[in-house]
Parts: sequence; C-alpha cells; structure tokens
Amino acid sequence: MNHILLFPIVFPILAGIMLLTVMKYQNRKPLLAYVGTVLGVNALWGLFAMFRVSEGVTVFYLTKSLPIYLKVDTVGRLFASLMVLVWLLGGLFSFEYMKHEKNEQRFYGFYLILCGVLFGLDFSGNLITLYLFYEFMTLTALPLVLHTQTKEAVMAGLKYLFYSFAGAYMALFGVFFIGRYAKTLEFTPGGVIDPSVFRENETLFFVVAMLMILGFSVKAGMFPMHAWLTAAHPAAPGPASAVLSGIIVKGGILALIRVVYEIIGVDFLRGSWVQQWWMILSLLTVFLGSLLAFREPVLKKRLAYSTVSQLSYILFGLSLFEVQAMTGSLLHIIAHVFIKVALFFTAAAIIYMTGCKRVEELRGVAKGMPVTMWCYTIVSLGLIGIPPTSGFISKWYLAEGALHTGIPVFSWLGPVILLLSALLTAGYLLPLSMRGFFPGEGYDAGRFAGKEPPLSMRVPLLIFAGLTLGIGLFPNVFTNILSAAADFLM
Amino acid sequence: MEMILNFPCLCILLTMFSAIISSALNRRWARYLNTFVVTLVGILSAAVLMFTLTSGKSYVYQMGHFPAPFGNEIRFGSLEAGMALFFSVIMLLSLNGGREKIRMEIDPGKEKLYYIMINLLLSSLLALVYTNDIFTAYVFVEINTISACGMIVITEHGRTIEAATRYMIMSLLGSGLFLIGICILYDMTGHLLMEYLYTSISNIMAAGTYRIPMMVAIALIVVGLAIKSALFPFHAWLPDAYGYSTVSSAAMLSSLVSKGYIFLLIKLIYRVIGFEVFFGSRIINVLFVFGLAGMIMGSVSAIRENDIRRMISYSSVAQIGYIYMGFGLGTGAGMVASAFHILSHGATKSLLFVAAVGLTDASGGHKEFDELTGAAYRNRLAGAAFLVGALSMVGIPLFSGFISKLLFAQAAVQSQGKALAALVVLAMSTVLNAIYFMKTVIRIYTPTDKKYEVTAFGYKVSYAITLGCFILLNLLLGLFSQPITNWITQGLTILQ
Amino acid sequence: MGGNLVQNYGEVVAMVLFGIGFTNLLLQKNMIKKIIGLNIMDTAVYLFLAEKGYITGHIAPIIKNGDFSPDTYINPVPSGLVLTGIVVSVSVTALMLSLTIRLYRRYHTLDLDEISTRLKKEGR
Repeated sequence: MNHILLFPIVFPILAGIMLLTVMKYQNRKPLLAYVGTVLGVNALWGLFAMFRVSEGVTVFYLTKSLPIYLKVDTVGRLFASLMVLVWLLGGLFSFEYMKHEKNEQRFYGFYLILCGVLFGLDFSGNLITLYLFYEFMTLTALPLVLHTQTKEAVMAGLKYLFYSFAGAYMALFGVFFIGRYAKTLEFTPGGVIDPSVFRENETLFFVVAMLMILGFSVKAGMFPMHAWLTAAHPAAPGPASAVLSGIIVKGGILALIRVVYEIIGVDFLRGSWVQQWWMILSLLTVFLGSLLAFREPVLKKRLAYSTVSQLSYILFGLSLFEVQAMTGSLLHIIAHVFIKVALFFTAAAIIYMTGCKRVEELRGVAKGMPVTMWCYTIVSLGLIGIPPTSGFISKWYLAEGALHTGIPVFSWLGPVILLLSALLTAGYLLPLSMRGFFPGEGYDAGRFAGKEPPLSMRVPLLIFAGLTLGIGLFPNVFTNILSAAADFLM
Repeated sequence: MEMILNFPCLCILLTMFSAIISSALNRRWARYLNTFVVTLVGILSAAVLMFTLTSGKSYVYQMGHFPAPFGNEIRFGSLEAGMALFFSVIMLLSLNGGREKIRMEIDPGKEKLYYIMINLLLSSLLALVYTNDIFTAYVFVEINTISACGMIVITEHGRTIEAATRYMIMSLLGSGLFLIGICILYDMTGHLLMEYLYTSISNIMAAGTYRIPMMVAIALIVVGLAIKSALFPFHAWLPDAYGYSTVSSAAMLSSLVSKGYIFLLIKLIYRVIGFEVFFGSRIINVLFVFGLAGMIMGSVSAIRENDIRRMISYSSVAQIGYIYMGFGLGTGAGMVASAFHILSHGATKSLLFVAAVGLTDASGGHKEFDELTGAAYRNRLAGAAFLVGALSMVGIPLFSGFISKLLFAQAAVQSQGKALAALVVLAMSTVLNAIYFMKTVIRIYTPTDKKYEVTAFGYKVSYAITLGCFILLNLLLGLFSQPITNWITQGLTILQ
Repeated sequence: MGGNLVQNYGEVVAMVLFGIGFTNLLLQKNMIKKIIGLNIMDTAVYLFLAEKGYITGHIAPIIKNGDFSPDTYINPVPSGLVLTGIVVSVSVTALMLSLTIRLYRRYHTLDLDEISTRLKKEGR
C-alpha cells in the first residue's frame, strides 16, 4: 500500500523515456494529449499518495547502510504540491508556446521525466535518496536548458552543469563525513548527530556544514556561485525557464532545509561562524541580485537576476534559525513560485507573440496585451511586497523574524537590506508596467495591437496572479500550517 | 565437489592449449574455439565462485609432484574465482562488441594470430589470478605483456607499432624491477611460494634485521607493477596504444591487462608482504601521491584531447590513479574500494570503448569531436550506452561509478591524515570527469544536418546485445553493490 | 661496509650491471641500444640468481654415485629460475627486435623520439 508513493516517481519517468525512445508522433495533437494525460494522472495520483501515506517506504538498499527511502512530511508536501501545480499549468502554457520551437517530443520527454524526479526529491526521506534525486534533477533539467541548441544555450548548459556538479560534490563531501559520524542519514528534526560527537569534532562539523550549505545553495544561486543561473534560465525556452526559475532552484532550498534542519541540526549551528557567513552571503546576494537586475536590459535575464535576489530572501530566512523567519521563508517559497513563474510566463508570452526580448522595446506593450500586463503588474507588486499580496506577508514575517532573533547587527541589517532590495525590485520590475501602460509620445501603436496571447497562455497567468493575491488576502490559512511546520523543524 | 577443485588449473590449461590448437586452425574455427573457451572459462569460474562462496575457504592445489615449499601451487578463494569470472565476461563482451572491427581492421591472414593472442592473454590473466608462486607470476606477467603487445600491433598502423614499442619498453622496465625485487626477496627468504614468503617476511620484520633491504625489495616489486599498470608518470604509451589499436584490444587492455597486474599487486600485498608491513611502510605514501597526481593529470589531459578514443584512454590514467589512491589510503576499506573499482572501471571503460566505436563508425570513421556531432542519433544504442558509461564515470548514483566513489570516500574518511587530500582530489577529479564526459555527451546529442554514410556495423545484433549486457553489468554493479562488496571483503580476508 | 662489498662482489657486480642495463633501456634513443640494455639488465638478474644459488665447493645438482646428500650439490632452484628467465628474455628480445625491424622499414630510423615527432607531424 505504501508503495503507491513510488508511482508518481516511476510513472512519468517511464512515460518520458517511452516518449524519448519508442514513440514517434507525427502530429502535435496526440503528443499533447499523451503529455497532458500523463501529467494529469500523475498529479492526481501524486497528491492522493502524499496525503494518504505518511509512513516511510524503503525501496531498496544501495549498500547495507544506505537505503533508498521515501517519506512524506509537511515540507515535502508543500514542495510537491507547488511542483504539481506549476507542472500542470506550465504544461498547459507550453502547449501553445512550444509551437515555435523544434524537437517538441524531446522537450516533453524530459519535462515528464523531470516531474517524476522532482516527486522523488520532495518525497526523499534520507540524505542519500535526496542526493540521488538531486543529481538526476540536475541532469534531466539540462536538456531543457539546452533545448534551443544555439551556441549560447550550449555554453549556458555547460556552465549550469559544472556549477551544479561542483556544488553537488561539495555537498557529497559533507555527506561522506556525516555518514561516518551519524547513526542514520534519515531526516530527523533537530539533526542526526549525537551532541557529544558534535562537540568533539566541532570544527570539522562546521566546515562540513559550510560546505554543504555552499554546495546546495549553488542550485539556489547564492553568491558567489550564482553565475550559472543568469546564463541558464534565460537560455531555455519560455516555459522551461519558468519551471527552472520557479521549481528547480527550490530543489536546492529543499536540500538546504533538509540538511541544516534535519541532518545537522540548528542548535549546533546557532551563533557559529557558519550561520554568520550564511547570513552575510545571503544578504549580499539579496542586494547584488537586485542591483544587477536593475542594470539588466534583457527581460528574461532581468528576471533571472531577480530570482537570484529573491531566493536569497528565502536563504536569509532559513539562516536565522528562528520560527517566524522560517515561516516567512516557507511562505516566500510559495509566493516566489507563483510570482516568478507568472513573470517568466509573461516574458515568454511577449517573446512568443512579439519577438521582443529587451525591456526598452516594450513601450506600449500593455495596449496590445492588457491581460498579460495586468497579471505582470499584480505579481510584480507581490514581489516588491506591497499589501495585499503574498510577497508582503512573507517579507513581513522575514523582517519580524530577523528583528526577533536579536543577533547583533544582523537583526536590523537584515530588514534594512530587504527593504533596500524591495525598492530596487520596484525599480526593475515596474518600469515595464509603466512604460507598457503609459508609453508617452511617439511609439508605434500598431506594433502590439491584437497581440494578446491565446487562452491556454492567459489562463495559467491569471491563475498565478490570482493565487498571489489570494495568499495576501487570506494569509492565515497558510501561516498556521507553515509555522507549525517550522516549529516542527526547530 | 572434489571435481571443482580442478577447475582453476583446468581453465589455465584449456586456454593455453586452445592457443596452441588455434595455430593449426583456420580463422573461422579459431574464432569459434576462442569464443567457446572464453565462455567455458566463465562457466567454470562461476562454478568455482559458487563453491568457494558457500564454503568460505580458500583452497591450495598442488601442481606437479613436489609438495610445498618446493613445488608450484595454485591457490584460490572466492575473490580469485570472481575475478576470473569477471575477466572472462568482460573479454567475451569486448570481443563480441568489436567483432566487426576485428574483421575490418585486421588482415584476414592474421586474424587467427589475434585469437591466439587472446587465448594467451586469458591464460596469463588466469595464471596471475590463481598462482601461489611468485616466480610463476613473473613468467605470466611477461606472457601477459607479450600478448598485449601483439594485440596492439596487430592492426598495421605506424602509430600502433610505435605505441607497442613504447609499451614494451615501459613494461620491460617494470618487469625488470619486479624480477629483481623477486630475486632479492628469494635471496633473503629462500622461498618462492607465497605463504612461506609471508612467514619469513613477517619474521624478518619482527626481528628488525634487514629491514631496509626488505623494504627496497618490496618497493621494487610494487613500483614495477605500478609501472606496468600505467600509473600516472608512466602512462606515455597508453593513449596511442588504446587510441589506435582495434577496439576490442583497447577495451581489453584498459579493463583486463592493467587490472591483472593490479590484482596481482593486491594479492602480493595480502599474501606476501603482509597487510601491516605494507601499510606501515612509506611506499603507500608514494602510491598515494602518484595516485592523486594521476587522478588530476589524467583528467586534465583528457579535457585537452580532441579525439574520443584518446580521451577515453586518458580517463583510464585517471581511473588507475583512483585505484592506487585507494592502496595509498592504507586501510582495509581502501583496498575494498580499489578492488571494487577494478570491477567498476573494467565494466565501464570497456563499455565506453565499444560504444565509442559505434559512434565513430556512424560518423564516417572520424574520431574528432566536430565530426561526432549528433552521432547518438545516427546510432541510438551506442549513444545510450555511451551516456550510461559517462554517467557512471562521472559518479551519478545508481551507476557503478558512484559506488566506487562512495567506497573511496568512506575509506578516505576513516584514514588518518589523508582524508582531506583524498576527498578534495576526488571531488576535483569528479568535476573534471564531468567536464569532458558531459561535453562529449552533449556533443553527440546535438542534432546536425550533416549526412554521413551509415555503415551497417552499428546495427548488428551481436553489437546491440553486447552493449545491452554492458549496460546491465553497469547497473548491476551500481544497484546491487552490497553483495559484491561483501564478497570482496570476505575474499580479501581469506586471501591471506 | 667496504668489506661487505668486497665479500659479496658477485651481487655488487650484478646490481651495477642491472643499473647500467636499466638506464640504457630507459634513456638510449637508439632502439638496438635499448634492446642491448634490456639484455644487460636480464643478464644481471641471472648473475645475481646464479651467485645466490652457488655454494662454494659444491657441484652441479646431477646425481652421481647415488649420493643424495644435500652437502654435495648447489641449490638447484636458482638455476631453474635462470633457465626460465632466459626463455622469457629471449622471447621478449625477439619481439622487440621484430618491432624494431617494422619501425625501421616504415620510417628508416631507429630513433623512437624522431618517429614520434614524425607521427605527430603527419597528424594521424
């Protein structure tokens, strides 16, 4: 019975492999029907399985001490639900978008495989399972980055691959050390290492913790290992950059939560240099990301820099080791998924309909695509953190949490930087809206006329914009669950 | 059950006699005989493996009339039998995968000679695996070298002759050192059989006299074998030899010939020199350093290479470095990791060579990366197989390479003082591996409009089956490693 | 120390010869000289073994007049090893020479490094 957890992992992977190898579709329609069916069935089954099964499942033993073990908890459910939602709507969006790309079948093959791998990542119940799916996530996301196969895309893909591998091996380095000292690698809130063992080898564990934090945060684009993100995300086709920026990077965050809170344990790290450096690096990234986004003329790249910055909000919240900040982080994960996917969908819709890539080309775009640009504006406000949107709630919790910790300097420096960065966020996101709606004199009015994207592209956008607002209006539903989850992890 | 005790000796004799008989046959029958014998050896070794695994003991088999300590002996436990099985499986697969190439590249009049060489190679490998007499080991080391040289040189090509010459020179230097080391050991102990050598050596080391000459002799033996198995600074011949010989030869050279020497070294460490003596000496530090250097330099050279076969060859240099690094760690876990890596690298590297030839053949025979663009679409199975091999080499979980990395890292963490260096280099080398293997994978999966003449070779059934078996073998090592490591651990304990 | 060297002059000579042979095999450019080095090296080993097996005053291990006493004969094992070694070294030398002939026919030189550079220039 518990093995139904395996289904949402194995089924789309098999379906994807079938699509890549055996099946040959001449027409789009049957292909899309196939992809849609697999995604739908898998989403339903995945949701059913993860809310039904709460015991762990050992699939098999890699070696005697390293079982492949699946277990679903609140954090896993959160990530998996987000993933399912984005995957379904992203799929819907891409049905239209991918018309103008080649090799659709390959794209959808890897899209399905990635869905299964991500279920695996979210369901993993111990460190080695997490690592396994993490590596496979890196590998199976690569074809999405490479999809257009221009020279730029290939270079971006290679960059992505090497940064990811370097990060993964820094993390693996830690896995080996922890594997030696820990009794088990199964995720346990509070950590798996015996306090006395930890005290004996304190320096070693701090180094290991730092390495693992650095290694996994490569995926989350933390400075100084962020360069791949701004190369890879814009290079992918529109829907792919949306899922990369919305979901794949969260894989790094999930891994960080697992490692810091459920393997090493926050009590050991609280007040150590590891925490300090983590805070410094994440705040630096928050600021730098916004600054770079501010200066970037290409829309998709600007959004990628924004991802770098926003992810470090989450990382900063995680690094405080405080319930409220953690709640803020979890909330910001949700908010950022909705917002960033919507933003990338907008960028993709604009590219798809008009072919424009740079922000200054888009004067007056809202005249032709009002729905799209309204959605863009709403989610932008969400990202900046203006009430009543989700971003406001999450940032509020983050700042409150930071002030609450009472860590010298950081407790006030953090909120200040978050605020500064919010201003910069407004600076890089809103000009597009303003220029779009109020182009001023002398622009080509006919250029964007009637360029509103088709329904299958508008619906996902509207849903995400609505969700962004929804969380902002009814935050309690989420904060209660999330603070309980955060409390559980401490 | 007594019957099974005869099998190891029978295997050696079978292969030797089939080499002799082959010279009287025509090429077709030589091929059949060779396939039959290799398969038979595999089956017999499997039987021996089952037998030794269930009994959990190792057996001594007396050769000729003289009892120990004068006569010659064979000794086998589960590890030896398993290695023999592994060697014959890899040999069978490599030969099958490159069969078409053997037909195309080797002069029909010489094809028979090739199979003679293969038979000799297998017999010498088996002898290296099973023998309990150190001088017999030397003789078969030389037979191994000669047959390997024959396998390189059989394709008439300036490069191969030059590579074979260089290979011979390096090998002869190595075997010279090995031989003089053996002679000094014999001089000091008066024995050639391994058990007696072990007792004498531990007595001498315990007494404290002749400690330095003993260390010199051990060092000579170890360095000799290290040179022969192409440890880092002694690898100059390797890329040419692997890169230009026929594909079966390349696969066998990288996964069998050098591994044969390494396995002999493992045996000598446990059965002659003694675990404590060896790990108490400074030799392991030297091996450790050269192993690390090889891991980095091999990968760096591979990155700079523009020829797929030579790139895979340079990767072998790095992988041999891993194995010696495992020796250098100086722990039992390190030895288990190295022994596992013999299997994992053997399975992966021969897979890569065989897959690469499918890719190059689908690209009009070109080996340069530019021409290989999109080769995986022209020969899908070879592409998939190369992907599996590359992922295994990079160390992605579920494939065999990950398990060896895991074992090496676990061993490194346990060792004192060397953990950091080993882990850092392991990580660096892995990332370097990722660079050149993933670059190649991306290259072969990039579609191109260029048309190539599609040769029938890539679609042969036997080639497809071979690749399938290789992939399975890789997954098997990656997924069910626990019984294998258990077997290695048990085998190493009864090796002594 | 010096006394030891004089006393064991056979072994000393063997080791010196081994060194000469080894360096020749390693460093000589000319293939024929390399092969000569190889043979010197092997011969040194045989000398060493023979020296080890010989016991002053004893005779070759061929049984005479039914005398089975070990005090009469030298140690036969090293002699056996020497014979085996000679067989190996002859075959290796033959192989090396045949390779040299092939190289010479193709490139008309015995210098391995020159052949390598020429191969690199050909670029294949």
